[in-house]
Amino acid sequence: MTATKFVTLGDAVLDEQFPPVDLALRRGRHVDRDDAEWFGFLRDAEDVLEPFYRRYGAELVYRADGYYYLLPSGDKLTKRQLGVAEMLVGQALTLLYLDPANVEQGGRVTREQVLAHLATVMGTDALIRTLNPKRRKYDERVAQETVRARVADALRRLAALGFVEALAAEEFKLRPALMRFAEPVRASADSSEALSRLVASGEVAFAPAEPGTEVGGGPDGDDAFEGHAANEGGDDPEPTNADATAALDVSEFEDFGFEDVEPGTEVEEPDEAGVLE
Amino acid sequence: MTVGAARDMDRGPVNDRPEDPSRLIENLAGRAISLELGSLDLCFVAALRLRSRTGETTSFSEQQLVDAFRDVCALTQPEATGVARRATAAIQRLRDQRLLSRVDGAGVVRSGAYTLTRLATSIVDFYLEEEALTGESLTLLLRTLHTSLIELREQARASTTARECSDRVVGPLRVTIRDLVDGIERRQRGLDLQQERFQQEIGNLLAADWFDAVARCQDLLEETTTTLRELNAVLLRDAHTLVTLLEDIRELAEERGAPDANEACRRLSEQLERIAAWGLARQHTWSEYYQYVHRFLRDVVRLDPTRALTERLRAELGGKAGRSYSLVVAAQPPLVVPRELTPPRDRPPLERPRTEREKPLQEAVADDRDQALTATVQAVLAGGARTLSSVTEAVVSPLPEAERFSTAGRVAEVAARLAKAESARERAWTRADEGIWIEEWSLTPSAKEG
Repeated sequence: MTATKFVTLGDAVLDEQFPPVDLALRRGRHVDRDDAEWFGFLRDAEDVLEPFYRRYGAELVYRADGYYYLLPSGDKLTKRQLGVAEMLVGQALTLLYLDPANVEQGGRVTREQVLAHLATVMGTDALIRTLNPKRRKYDERVAQETVRARVADALRRLAALGFVEALAAEEFKLRPALMRFAEPVRASADSSEALSRLVASGEVAFAPAEPGTEVGGGPDGDDAFEGHAANEGGDDPEPTNADATAALDVSEFEDFGFEDVEPGTEVEEPDEAGVLE
Repeated sequence: MTVGAARDMDRGPVNDRPEDPSRLIENLAGRAISLELGSLDLCFVAALRLRSRTGETTSFSEQQLVDAFRDVCALTQPEATGVARRATAAIQRLRDQRLLSRVDGAGVVRSGAYTLTRLATSIVDFYLEEEALTGESLTLLLRTLHTSLIELREQARASTTARECSDRVVGPLRVTIRDLVDGIERRQRGLDLQQERFQQEIGNLLAADWFDAVARCQDLLEETTTTLRELNAVLLRDAHTLVTLLEDIRELAEERGAPDANEACRRLSEQLERIAAWGLARQHTWSEYYQYVHRFLRDVVRLDPTRALTERLRAELGGKAGRSYSLVVAAQPPLVVPRELTPPRDRPPLERPRTEREKPLQEAVADDRDQALTATVQAVLAGGARTLSSVTEAVVSPLPEAERFSTAGRVAEVAARLAKAESARERAWTRADEGIWIEEWSLTPSAKEG
């Protein structure tokens, strides 16, 4: 197939691959050659889809490593930053992707391998503290269980984004999109310049937000998970009362005829006949 | 080194006829099959195997066995002592595990002659021979198989009786043809092992030489890919022809009533189909691996010849780099698909009932109860009743119980109107009816009466 297959946007939109690819891209999915049909469609339609997505304030990016993804730059499409656990696991997966030891297995790794690699590179204590940030004192067993749970959740989310492919409950295949995690250090050891460039282009953001933090637009579909992860990891900001009050619009409530009562005012109790004297 | 060797001494080999796998396994377990072979024993067997090939000997005398063991010890354990004693023990171990059999049958008359069993040759051949399937060997084997099957088909056509057909066709199917097909399968397993070794070698080459290993890795990949492609092409081309030939033989044998022809042909067909399926499966698996490694070589090794990227990323993950960052991804929530709603029914507007609220007047006979009561009281008085209690009782007793009490008061009123009522100063209470007590009056009919 060639890039001339789709001459107009209408042709591309009418293709049967458009709806699933469009939905997947908007949900943050990275599409590579392993998604043969989707990848082929994007190769053929990229010329007409790039201006299409630009109108939504997003860029259809193709990397030389062989994958596509959608990068929202405005606020018309919702975007989010990867959470701490996702970033750590993503970087560990990238290291495994670059490791020739995994070539023998065709890029297949297990969850245990990822955990072991994280623990080796970061150190067990640093890993536990990073994924249990709010707990100054922690029970070792519980903290380790939390780490395992958060890594498993992160793997699941990264699989949904196309960074890895879940082959079985514990086994994953590494995919080329993982190279995105290496972008800031690709050019030189000093990542600050590359980071500044990537931040300017909207590829990355400083100070990793908590898991699933939205940068703009509507809510994420995985809000339930976010709460769970935050509770486990304890690194999600808890809403304050002031925030809750500020969020209320009193005018939206109906007037049921209740009277405002000053604090401390005694309220007369009705007599036995139910009549206030 | 320890590998398995059979220790069953008393029973024959497992029957090759199709049997229930569970029963076969139970049988093996019941016979306590086990193998215990050390590295020295294996080397001893390998030495005997090599001598039998090169020396064209069909058996070994006891002295030859001891000499072979001595040579092996000299190579592997030069400082070993008591070699003759150890040789005796090793020969006994091999005999116990059915790796060495005595073939002279002379017993105690003279020293024995020994030969390696099929089990022993199979074990050492695994280590000695590289029997991986190649395009050449597969083509040769399949061609031989094809020729043999054509010959058997002719034999089946020429045979006239069931016995003749069984001897000339089914027997060779079970032995000659089966050996050829087994040979192909054995070489397939050899190629599987070779692929596994290549995969390990590619990983090791990259780990050791990284960028310098690219050319060698590509050679290994291409070599295996070419072999698999050739094998698959040959299998796809020939497997169908061979199965068709087997089907012809089966039909001819069945026409002549040869027993077991059907079963023998079916098993061989299954083996051939398995061989063809192996080719497809291996090519598919290798294709995935091939793509992955090529991508790795192109995107990782060539773009990072010094492996600096790995070190930088490791430093980043280890927290030794600068400010942390986070990737941004699109996160459009799924489209909202509202549930299907049933439109509410329109409420009918409020309106007056169409029918007339008031029922039309109907003609009815007037119900003048006062007049009737007056007539009754008057009749009772005319009948001679002179007290209020007697009048009341007479009037209310025929009435329904619910009306008696209310009627009693009206009786008093009517009686007072129709007669002159008198009472004593102290008016006594008198029973007028069940549950009705009244103050007694005496009644005197007056002029008003009538």
